[in-house]
Amino acid sequence: MGRTALRTLVSVAATLFGLAALTFLIGRLLPLDPVTAILGDNASQEAYDAMYRQLGLDQPILVQFGMYLRDLVTFDFGMALTTGRPVLSDIARVFPATLELATVAIVMGTSLGIPLGVLAAMYRNTVIDHTVRIVGLLGYSAPNFWLGLMGLVLFYATLEWVGGPGRIDFVYEWDIEPGTGFLLLDSAVQGKWEAFGNVFSHIILPASILAFGALAYISRMTRSFMIEQLGQEYVIAARVKGLSWARTVWIHAFRNIAVQVLTVVALAYAFLLEGAVLTETVFAWPGFGRYLTNALLVGDMNAVVGCTLLVGVIFVSLNLICDVLYRVFDPRTR
Amino acid sequence: MRTPRIDAMTLRRPIMAASVLGLALGVPQVGHAATPPTALVMAWNIDAISTWDPAQIGEVVTNELVQNTCDALVDFDPSDPTKVQPLFATSWDVSEDRKQITFHLQEGATFPSGNEATAEDVAWSMHRVVKLGFGNAATLTEYGFTEDNVEDMIQAVDDTTLVMKLDKPYPTDLILQAVAANRVAAVLDSEEIMANEEDGDLGNKYLTTRTECIGPYRLVRWNAGEGIMLEANEDYYGEAPALSRVVIRHVAEPGTQRLLLTQGDVDVARDLTPEDLADLEQSPDITIAKALKPQLFYWNMNNAYEPLSNPKVRLALRYLIDYQGLGETVMRYSGAPRASFVQIGAFGALDEKAGQPFGVDLEKAKQLLTEAGYADGFEMSVLFGTLPYSAPIAQSVQQNASKVGIKLNLERMANAQLFSRVRGREFQSTMQSWQTSVPDAHGMASRQIYNPDNSAEAKLTQYPSWRASWYSEEANAKVDAALMEPDTAKREQMYHDLQEEMLQDGPQGFMFQIYDVAGVRNELKGWAWNGFRVYYENTSK
Repeated sequence: MGRTALRTLVSVAATLFGLAALTFLIGRLLPLDPVTAILGDNASQEAYDAMYRQLGLDQPILVQFGMYLRDLVTFDFGMALTTGRPVLSDIARVFPATLELATVAIVMGTSLGIPLGVLAAMYRNTVIDHTVRIVGLLGYSAPNFWLGLMGLVLFYATLEWVGGPGRIDFVYEWDIEPGTGFLLLDSAVQGKWEAFGNVFSHIILPASILAFGALAYISRMTRSFMIEQLGQEYVIAARVKGLSWARTVWIHAFRNIAVQVLTVVALAYAFLLEGAVLTETVFAWPGFGRYLTNALLVGDMNAVVGCTLLVGVIFVSLNLICDVLYRVFDPRTR
Repeated sequence: MRTPRIDAMTLRRPIMAASVLGLALGVPQVGHAATPPTALVMAWNIDAISTWDPAQIGEVVTNELVQNTCDALVDFDPSDPTKVQPLFATSWDVSEDRKQITFHLQEGATFPSGNEATAEDVAWSMHRVVKLGFGNAATLTEYGFTEDNVEDMIQAVDDTTLVMKLDKPYPTDLILQAVAANRVAAVLDSEEIMANEEDGDLGNKYLTTRTECIGPYRLVRWNAGEGIMLEANEDYYGEAPALSRVVIRHVAEPGTQRLLLTQGDVDVARDLTPEDLADLEQSPDITIAKALKPQLFYWNMNNAYEPLSNPKVRLALRYLIDYQGLGETVMRYSGAPRASFVQIGAFGALDEKAGQPFGVDLEKAKQLLTEAGYADGFEMSVLFGTLPYSAPIAQSVQQNASKVGIKLNLERMANAQLFSRVRGREFQSTMQSWQTSVPDAHGMASRQIYNPDNSAEAKLTQYPSWRASWYSEEANAKVDAALMEPDTAKREQMYHDLQEEMLQDGPQGFMFQIYDVAGVRNELKGWAWNGFRVYYENTSK
């Protein structure tokens, strides 16, 4: 077990190093000029040269890489050019917004996606199966950007059921004391229920749209896992023993696919966290995805590198968690 | 395997789960709140803010906010930006030889720190701009101020008197306009800032995230990429604004801004598309506000590229621009056709008609090309950035160019990349914009026409003329002469002549003067702006 843990640790470290090296290389290869990104195109040559030196760009590439690695080890991602603050504190500020949105979305997507997937497998080639498939297809193919705008026009502008773009209405914006950064949690803890309702009315639409995509993926994968299980002998055996169909499927077969489904959910979650970029743009959601996009557009490489590494860490950690869970729950993988 | 029968038990659990979520989704929420009656609420793309240091900022957004939070010596008249009015300086005297301006300042104004704002603070603030040397320093250095002399040239005589000496008798209005527009005379709290200085940076780092000055509003919150809140400054020496808060929410997507505006969740939307504007114009609740900015969108021609060194080729290219067609379509809400290098609204500008004599004329273009020795045309690249109208304009010109044998290769890129290429003279031609900071013909002439030194080593990257490798001894002399001409009428005429001349053989192809456009809800009164400033303090509900 100790050796496995060590091997895992080494492989995680190698993955992260590879990611860091690649990001550095891309940052240097992109024809973007960080100095103009900071100073604008109107700065004098003296100011330009000074900033060039300050950023260490006059150093040989290997020295720059060394400095970059040294900073990374100490969790120093440098200053974000676009905000003038340390990248790490920027990420700490924008990430909760994405985490909150993605968590609500994944809870919705999972709690609908798994039952739908199981049902579709149970009633294969019936109306239920077809309906689930059509819903899944829509979730896959309809662009979130478009769905978001349509959702806003219908539920916000026409029916006025939900709050508009942003995490909260302007009037409540400054009422909630900064806490965890999760507005649902912060407002609830502070007992500001009106603000809580407002936050909820804002999150429900973008979360539903993201959930729709996650639901499509989760239900499709669950369906195929379940179909495989339903063909197994133990299912027939259970039925012969007189176990109800529902019990066979929901208890016995489902237990066998639970770990696989969990992996799918974890992956879907990772994708959501990586930044539902377009959704965040449409909904003016001040999250991670939008921060990363903006950093890319203006050539803010410190921010891009910081974000990319974070995404890498998210994927690696979720994979690691799934790995461990596999070992715990599925004896065959030990 | 047999197809199982659907029984009630099978469905119960998933259906229950689904209905709980369905309920959550379907419960109608209370209608959203309208904007508060005491606040101005705006949706705007404020991604570009990276610092609040008046010496460093160049972006439109920060510029506007700083002008509303940090008073400068003087201000523009909202209805006529060529006129300058008192602000922190209550009045000023000009010496007979025009080489000294004495400013008399507000008495008893205090910074948020409690420190009194004195002439010493103003002098210090202006010195630091020159010493830091960011883009804005040019505003002072081009009128003879240098790092070495600035402390002698700008001095506090006593707490409320500031003297500014000039090395030459520049037009006083021009100097006043320059210090009003460029934040170089924003009055900063020298004591507070110096207490937070790091490594001799004169507080540059400290001012990255805050302001230390006096204005009708003060910055109380800035969450990069999220929003900004300004609050009326209770200790302001001037008139208190009617609205006590200004809230700006970062909204990048124009469609989203439009929804917020039509729903009444914001009072003003700043980044609407022409399609949105055309629709909103029909709405009885919304007014479209427009102001011409001192910004020109132009075809930047690198004269070092052989064909472009010939003035006839450059003139031929102007005949390929569909000023009228594009002006009515792509640029309907974004810009006014303008072929002269001086913007409409500036002192010395040609009027609209004289300043735009061109129309698409392929025969004329062909003839000019033949005379220049390019009867078979040539090939050239056109780089452009992320301005939304660049691509359609470039494509329109490309189409016309192909009819006279010129092959234009269009290349779109990120702005940081474009700027870097242009600063390094690594381009054949680009389509981009240039903004001047003063409502005076000299603002554009001094950069677009005047080129102090065309050598590559000079690296005069702040001069579009240098970037375009265009140099004319004669034009330099004319720009100088017009600047120093004491007779106003004569000075105006000199600029007219220079523009007429440049329309024929100038270095660049000027195309459009850009509009600032906003959708404003009718509940908001007094939205006042011009190309240089937006006056939040004039708004009320």
